[in-house]
Amino acid sequence: MPSQHLEIRRSSASLRGGETGIRQLPTVSKYIDTSTCIGCKACEVACQEWNDLKTQHTQQTGTYQTMPALAADYWNLIRFDEREYDGGVTWLMRKDQCMHCADPGCLAACPAPGAIVQYSNGIVDVNPDQCIGCGLCATGCPFDVPKFHENTGKMAKCTLCVDRVEVSLEPACIKACPTGCLQFGTKQDMVALGEHRVAQLKANGFAHATLYDPPGVKGTGVVTVLAHGDHPEWYGLPRDPQVPWSVSFSKRFLRPLGLIAIFGTIAGVFGHFLRHGPKKPPDSDTDTQPSTRA
Amino acid sequence: MREISTRAPLGSAPQTMDTAVIKARHVEDVVVGEEIIRHRLLSRVIHWTVAVSMLLSLITGLPIWTPIFGWMAFLVGGLAVCRWLHPWLGIVFFASSVWMFAHWAKGMGMSKDDWAWIGPRLFLYMKAETDDSQVGKYNGGQKIFFFTSALAALALVASGVVLWFPLSFGQEPRGVSLILHDVTFILFTASVIGHIYLGTASEPGTFTAMTRGVVSKKWARFHHPRWYREVTGEKAQRF
Repeated sequence: MPSQHLEIRRSSASLRGGETGIRQLPTVSKYIDTSTCIGCKACEVACQEWNDLKTQHTQQTGTYQTMPALAADYWNLIRFDEREYDGGVTWLMRKDQCMHCADPGCLAACPAPGAIVQYSNGIVDVNPDQCIGCGLCATGCPFDVPKFHENTGKMAKCTLCVDRVEVSLEPACIKACPTGCLQFGTKQDMVALGEHRVAQLKANGFAHATLYDPPGVKGTGVVTVLAHGDHPEWYGLPRDPQVPWSVSFSKRFLRPLGLIAIFGTIAGVFGHFLRHGPKKPPDSDTDTQPSTRA
Repeated sequence: MREISTRAPLGSAPQTMDTAVIKARHVEDVVVGEEIIRHRLLSRVIHWTVAVSMLLSLITGLPIWTPIFGWMAFLVGGLAVCRWLHPWLGIVFFASSVWMFAHWAKGMGMSKDDWAWIGPRLFLYMKAETDDSQVGKYNGGQKIFFFTSALAALALVASGVVLWFPLSFGQEPRGVSLILHDVTFILFTASVIGHIYLGTASEPGTFTAMTRGVVSKKWARFHHPRWYREVTGEKAQRF
């Protein structure tokens, strides 16, 4: 549902973008600390309830994960994995959801004007009224987040509870978290919190701890503390997420080039007609040669 | 007014009707009076199936490609309709293109002279500075357009199926298809604009080949002299 209160910073398939108002909203962000997540799934339940998504039968796949992947009516998933580490086994749990990229690949790829918007506080949202369900946003997303909903024929994903945030409430998942591993605030504050926690982890022997805020998409609206920051793939995160080259190449290069080619050809044939005129058979019956040679 | 008998025997047309068109239902490459049948009915039906499905695909595809052509979406009921309709039109375009290829491939053998059209020959032709005396039913440019459009149909359907069901394919094929669909349709659209121009304004007398199916003898002798000689049995003319 598009926000009625937030100004739009960027919109899909629009020729112009950019804020116009005088209100300066801070960019918001979630903070996820994977090292203190206990995998209770309270955030999953809160997300389903607040967003009125259908309750699902969880699937037993031999792990502590409720569902195999994010789905069109399952926007928040605690991913579980276990890895051998330091002579033992370590459990890895990460809250998976839309990352609300500052440079959203979904928005760049979307062909429907206004179907994907980025609000002035950084939240990236799907507007179902405009969505045509083509799935190109999924091609643009380096995190494989937007999902096609069979019932609505539209794409769906985490809204960062924009309906709560615009009235100064924290997102439902944050509200439900019992350990404090989920926090919500301005991007600046959440990054500071993350850096503080990373320093703690490093002091406690996790030398590769990092705050995952990938620069390839100009940072995300969800910053994640990873104890094993040298292995983001252990958490199901891409090492260096980028807007796919095909999307950028198509939109930034092929589109203008194609317009020039198509309109250029139209102009070319008009020019040819004006310059050379129609090519008619000569009046003489015996002359079969075009006799325009000078 | 003379009454036309509705019980006329099959094949015999009343005099008020266009005898060339009636003959062109079944045969081509034959002389009827001052005209020559160039494309029989089946050829024309195939051509127009390809052409109409291509143009409708373009109208429903362009608004998805860029919002500059967003207005075209309203012709069919909006962008969501385009997203639904475009793939089906693409299927019609591809299927009729396969049919067209099978129908015309026989006459499209490329000679050495035809290959020369890839290059300055094309530009000389557009300036009417070429010796076309050995041009048969199709010139090199037409043959190359024939193969171009067959290749385009193949590339468009292959990439189009991936774009139709993106979530059934991986990121790599989706990205490649996006690029391939763009590049192919841009080049093909530009070629089609040239094709329409050459078939209408640029070379008067050509368009009837695809409507009534016939061209004038004069047109045939001028544009396709070897075909003209083969059809009429006339000897080569003095140049």
